[in-house]
Amino acid sequence: MRMSKRAMALVAVGLVGALAMSGCSKKSGGSSGASAGSGKDGKQIAVAFVPKLQGIPYFEAMNTGGQKAAKDLGINWIYKGSTTADPGAQTDIVKSLIQQKVDVLVVAPNDPDSMAPVLADAKAKGIHVMTSDTDAPNSVREVFVNQATAEGIGRGLTDALLEKMGSQGKYAIVSCGQTAANLNSWIAVQKQYTAEKYPKAQIVDTVYAGEDEAKAVSMAKDLMNAHADLTGLVGECTSSAPGVAKAVREAGKIGKVFTVGLGTPQAMKPYLADGSSTAAILWDVESLGYLTAWAGQQIAQGKSFETSNKVGSDLADVKYFSDQKMLLLGDPLRITKENVDQFNY
Amino acid sequence: MTGLVQAVPLRRRRPVARAVEGQELALVVVIALLWLALSLGTDTFLTGSNLRNIVFGVAAIAIIGIGMTPVIVTAGIDVSVGSMAAVVMVVVAKLIRDVGAPAPLAVLVAVALGLALGCLNGLLVSLGGIHPIIVTFGTLNVFRFVALRIFDSKQVTGVPDTLAWFGGGEAGRGLLGVPHAWWLAMVLAALMWCYMRYWATGRHWYAIGNDPNAARLAGIKVRRRTITAYALTGFFVGLAACVLIGSGGLVQQNAGTGLELQVIAAVVIGGTSILGGRGTVLGTLLGALLVGTLTSAITLLGWRSELTELFIGVFILVAVGVDLVRERRRRTR
Repeated sequence: MRMSKRAMALVAVGLVGALAMSGCSKKSGGSSGASAGSGKDGKQIAVAFVPKLQGIPYFEAMNTGGQKAAKDLGINWIYKGSTTADPGAQTDIVKSLIQQKVDVLVVAPNDPDSMAPVLADAKAKGIHVMTSDTDAPNSVREVFVNQATAEGIGRGLTDALLEKMGSQGKYAIVSCGQTAANLNSWIAVQKQYTAEKYPKAQIVDTVYAGEDEAKAVSMAKDLMNAHADLTGLVGECTSSAPGVAKAVREAGKIGKVFTVGLGTPQAMKPYLADGSSTAAILWDVESLGYLTAWAGQQIAQGKSFETSNKVGSDLADVKYFSDQKMLLLGDPLRITKENVDQFNY
Repeated sequence: MTGLVQAVPLRRRRPVARAVEGQELALVVVIALLWLALSLGTDTFLTGSNLRNIVFGVAAIAIIGIGMTPVIVTAGIDVSVGSMAAVVMVVVAKLIRDVGAPAPLAVLVAVALGLALGCLNGLLVSLGGIHPIIVTFGTLNVFRFVALRIFDSKQVTGVPDTLAWFGGGEAGRGLLGVPHAWWLAMVLAALMWCYMRYWATGRHWYAIGNDPNAARLAGIKVRRRTITAYALTGFFVGLAACVLIGSGGLVQQNAGTGLELQVIAAVVIGGTSILGGRGTVLGTLLGALLVGTLTSAITLLGWRSELTELFIGVFILVAVGVDLVRERRRRTR
């Protein structure tokens, strides 16, 4: 009895450890399309997109755009992601898509480094590989669909915040995943651009809350407590952008501490309305999905990109940078309480 | 059935717990030293808004921990609480946003739903004869599935502040400026502490954790007491979900992910033996407070965020290590 109890405890401890690493994944395929967009062998082209996680409005909006493109272009659009932003769970989904032998695999990697070998494996099996939303720079991907340059976003965030802060004062950044390459590249620009353009302003701290809004709220409050003269906060992703705004609202510091962030319009709307958030910097996410599906079709058909591409009526001039093998959606948008209602996601 | 041979009278094996057990005293000292150091080291730690943030940040963990403590005391565990919280949160968030349910109804639904899910866990654990970690690992996934179906691929945005009384804002502040959520945790913990210390049925949990066969021979209704522990945990998860929704806003699909580990960490750091038979909710409350203090201190001091994980890990290892040493000493006595 004694021994078995100890053995049980060991099993228990082991399983708790395993739990920490396990993620539950949800699968759903979205497919639509006609017969026009066929590949070399006459079959309909299958473009599979694996988001960082499924179910958040950001990637759902990308999926909406992708589905729209699939309808217009006649390709098969597959959208499949994990419910947690977990590199391991994402890798599993990518591997299953490789088994399905899709024509084009598009990934927004949670961890670019661990994704790179999986992408190489896909390429070896004859699948075209792309990245979208987040790049895997040291991988075999054929093209990266970039929503905006790091400069565009970093400067957009900094300008929106510093306008409100009167070009001076202390602010802090609440970021999300510590390994997210795009978030880190934006933060690098924010630091450099703030130092160059706003010498009287200072970034006092950068903290990482994961994709957890409650933790972002708590950390933002910690930052306000730690720095009594803090007048600005940046929420670097779609969970920390509403998070920092909520923290300011709950701390009763609206008008004293200003926030901006990478937030989706509908989630930011209540905070934009009461001034706890000044602006959300984002791009047209549906168009990003549309462009991603279009680019997938292009590479599956073996076509190369022009310096300027006409993708659709809303995307008349999409730039291609051949040195970086990158398609650029355009300049980021500044979403405020005036224009927030134009977006339904 | 070696248990029959080894069955030892409860009293001799385990004298009624002293008011404050060793580990709790150690925790009080550690927390006091930490608070003292932080108060002297920074001029921002000992402020109302900071202390409020610390206790609010761990209130939900502490409330669930009050249920988790008796579960672990019976040598069980419930790893499904995070998913359970997600189910309750999405249902209640949609209820107050889409139907406009008033606060009392929302709370009622939250605790009723939590209680129902907890009962399910309790029934499966007590009837199946399978280790609770396996059973609740199963329900963890089932509950997460249910929550995701209700989310329907969309996070719940624009949740109104119906439950602001539980939240971290102005409306959630109670006596002495302490958040209602933390008052709730303290009052519930006090009630549970009394129950587990002075009521016969409360003591039965310890007996079950020490030796379920002996407990059964002593006339304890093991099955019924086990179900009660898991059902109570569900009830507390319902309350914690109200705290997590709080002043509204956003409920994400990943709500509650990893919450079970945070709760178990608080319980274990609080001195409850993972082998069962020992532990108090007072310890759990202190464990949660220690975790909250550490998390906040890292940001206040401007240290790297990931150090939080390191410190919590070290505290868990120390707590479990101390417990194992004590267990061994007791056995060789």
